[in-house]
Amino acid sequence: MEEIPMDTTVLIIGGGWIGIKVAQELIDMGYGVVLAESGTAMGGEPSGHPWASVKKKDLTALLDSVKEADGIEILTAATLVSLTGVPGRFQARFEQGGESFERAVGAVVVALETQRVSLAEAYGLRGDENILTQSQLEHVCASGNGEAPLFGGGSKDVLFLVGLQQEGNPVVMERAIQSALQVQDNEGLQATILVGNVKLAQHGLETLYKESREKGVLYFKLRETPHIKQNGADVSISFFDNVIHDQVVLRPDVLVVEEAIRPHPQASEVAQALGIVRDGEGFLQPDNVHFLSTRSNREGIYVVGPARLPSSLAQGWKDAQNAVLEIWQLLGKGKRVVPKEKATIHRGKCTICLTCFRVCPHGAIYWDNRAVISPTACQGCGICASECPMDAIQLVDFRDDQIEDQILQGTATSVDGPQMIAFCCQNSAYEAAQMARMTGDPLPKGLKIIQVPCAGKVDVDYILTAFKAGVDGVLVLACHKDNCKSQQGNTFAQWRVEHARRMLEESGLEQERLLFATMASNMPIEFVRITKGMEDKLNQLGHNPIRKGAAA
Amino acid sequence: MKQGSREHLANHSPKKVLVIGGGIAGLSAAWELARLAIDVDIVEKGPFLGGHAIGFCCKATDECQKCGACSVTARLLEVVQEPRITVHLRSELKSVTRNSTHRYVLSQRPLYIDPDRCTNCGLCFDKCPAAGAIVRGYARSDGSLFAIDEAHCLHFKDASCRLCQDECPEQAIDLDQSARQVSGEADAIIVATGFQVFDAKARPRYGYGINRNVITALELERMLRDKAQVLRPSDNKAPKTIAFIQCVGSRDHQLHHGFCSQVCCGYAMRMAEAISHRDPGVQISIFYMDMQNCGKNFSTFYERCKEHIRFVRFMPGDLFQEEGDQVTLCYATERDGRPMKEPFDLVVLSVGIMPGASNVRLAHMLQLDLDKHGFFAFTDPMDKTTTKQDGIFLAGTAQGPKDIADSMGQAGQAAQRAAQYLGVTACLK
Repeated sequence: MEEIPMDTTVLIIGGGWIGIKVAQELIDMGYGVVLAESGTAMGGEPSGHPWASVKKKDLTALLDSVKEADGIEILTAATLVSLTGVPGRFQARFEQGGESFERAVGAVVVALETQRVSLAEAYGLRGDENILTQSQLEHVCASGNGEAPLFGGGSKDVLFLVGLQQEGNPVVMERAIQSALQVQDNEGLQATILVGNVKLAQHGLETLYKESREKGVLYFKLRETPHIKQNGADVSISFFDNVIHDQVVLRPDVLVVEEAIRPHPQASEVAQALGIVRDGEGFLQPDNVHFLSTRSNREGIYVVGPARLPSSLAQGWKDAQNAVLEIWQLLGKGKRVVPKEKATIHRGKCTICLTCFRVCPHGAIYWDNRAVISPTACQGCGICASECPMDAIQLVDFRDDQIEDQILQGTATSVDGPQMIAFCCQNSAYEAAQMARMTGDPLPKGLKIIQVPCAGKVDVDYILTAFKAGVDGVLVLACHKDNCKSQQGNTFAQWRVEHARRMLEESGLEQERLLFATMASNMPIEFVRITKGMEDKLNQLGHNPIRKGAAA
Repeated sequence: MKQGSREHLANHSPKKVLVIGGGIAGLSAAWELARLAIDVDIVEKGPFLGGHAIGFCCKATDECQKCGACSVTARLLEVVQEPRITVHLRSELKSVTRNSTHRYVLSQRPLYIDPDRCTNCGLCFDKCPAAGAIVRGYARSDGSLFAIDEAHCLHFKDASCRLCQDECPEQAIDLDQSARQVSGEADAIIVATGFQVFDAKARPRYGYGINRNVITALELERMLRDKAQVLRPSDNKAPKTIAFIQCVGSRDHQLHHGFCSQVCCGYAMRMAEAISHRDPGVQISIFYMDMQNCGKNFSTFYERCKEHIRFVRFMPGDLFQEEGDQVTLCYATERDGRPMKEPFDLVVLSVGIMPGASNVRLAHMLQLDLDKHGFFAFTDPMDKTTTKQDGIFLAGTAQGPKDIADSMGQAGQAAQRAAQYLGVTACLK
């Protein structure tokens, strides 16, 4: 172990309210802050929130306190170009007004806001003054101040389209209901909401929904997108109503179209500069429960609120507080005790092919005239070690010779029934095996369990060593797809098993002697079922001929 | 970590937080605090840690469906290995008095099974003649995997049986232990007492408790966890048709439950997907009002579900048992309102999250408010961990319905607030 210095300045990307909140929390803890905003203004409208329901005074006070704090540097119109270094000692490079410069930071928080995209086009609507987006309506409501009648007064129908072009979410729903309530408050105005699923899975929303109905807001729940005809300002919307079981045609005076909440326009550039993974919708966090709530695939880089999913301000606040806890764990008071190394690279064997650099899912390997593995960033999965074509990398806690010893021990004792070795990921199958043992479910007698840090650590050599030593069958048990703490460890394991199965076949051994399966830590029953199934299969196949030969 | 062992820790922090509740929110809050070098006492009224969620099943098909159940197992293991956390099982808060700190008294029912001696051999569980008297936990911890439930144990009924005590090869069981009190002092409190599942009998029209083949979703979770398959209670055969009914107890203004439980759509879809993946021949229908989102990238998930599951937008009226073991469900079709009668082999009620049974008593003891539904009320809408008492914070479903991920997130937030309140994280200044 050694004590290393950690930089106690944190980079925040995004000067929206969540970024400002993170800054305030960090300043309270005594950390320095560099806040980089690609636009020119801080704060603004929270992208995922009914602006009307926020106490603006509180937010303005928050922004003022952050701006005036010591130890904060605010960079506006600045773009992050790259991030190098290791957690605790990153160098962030920016571009601002044609100039390029660096800042040293210990950690990074991505607090990019989302963007609202009007779905008018998707509904087949062309712009007209009586067709508003949700944001435009909010502006009209806010600027009216209740003095002049909304939409010039008179008797008018205001129709909202929500969740009919996309699945929607509670954030979008809340904004529509809030606005409908405001419209309904005006004499003569009737608010009607056409909606797919009413998304209410958020605190207080069912109550708000009920209130809106009691105040006269009408809801039609549709299963399909309605048929929309537009002739300039004249819009007719027809749909089949499932309650009255008839076709309904509405001709609203004002049409309010929902907006989709999409990742920030710069999300992809930021992800690339930081080396972090995005989910299927483009938000900056893998869709994997092990990264909750605010972790990214890289140590020292955290993702909060609207940067990781459409969220309300309160949800963003929650993320901000979780992220600063993580940062405190990482940076502490500016010093941290870390293992000298978690993995070693044998310099004589290393041919600088950079495979390790490319496969590391945690961005823990960097380049300093040679490949270096950062002990703060390394998560110890061992994917690099198994992928290294020169076998130049060893994990300190799971060296190849230690694992090979375990394999040979597994073959040394003779038992009734087939000898099997199961390589079990410590995050899933290993725990399931422990539970199966505890609950007394009978496991195959000849089963030897070898714990690995990640299935991605299982080398083809291990599998072949086991068969050469006379084992009858080998199982590689990994986490389910999208549940690997190192993201791709299970995929690497599966590829290697497929590769090894072909090699077995070529050498005259049955492919079925080698099995890849996925499971979770809470699946002891499945662990028993899979291992017993393998035992049955091996009983049919008979002993590994190599072992028979050795015995003879 | 077991009681008493923390004294051996060098340099231990003078700050201590009492976490009420050992479910996923309590465990997460405790774990975050311990990582900040704060001592934690967890009070858990049940015999095991992990709350409801530790008994949930993995809902993966050939890929993870992000239910988060596995993260509960992982968090529990972290907590029991953490020396700064002391766990008081089968304990309840008896009184709290507040001066500069919170002085509290816990009443602890006996464990009967000595965790240091128990080897988890399971002999007591196998030999016990009374159903439900010895219960088995769901996860490895540093305690025993087994516990004695006085309500079902013959010894506590009429002193007629001491089989477990006599048979235990390690002499780990002592049925004569008596309850005791533990007192302590904490600088802050986190309320993480969780929820109770809606009692499906309170909606008598569904015939829960009468029709054996009407089960709750929680029972389905446990069945998948314990047996890794679905079996119909009446004949232990695999059902070919399954109906889920959503919003049982939630969004029910008649029962004054004007809230969405936020988890039921997610667990119903995920379990339906898992069941259909294991046996594609099973036909599954979900009867619903509005499908709610779960996790990231919901629309893709929902579209995938639609390939295997029939979604029917109708809340069925009465259920009744006809000839045979099937349960008939009455509903009207969406298209033309035609009344339909359709038999199912198994009906699953997606029961919701209700306020904890002890909320009223605990709120009184801690001088906190409850909201109109009976959950603990927060004071700052931007931070739902806040209460009207300084130094008392909320986490998880004690404050309102949420899923595992949200409970963990709010627990982190509560821990951060508590640490801030104690001045632990402000030391760089």
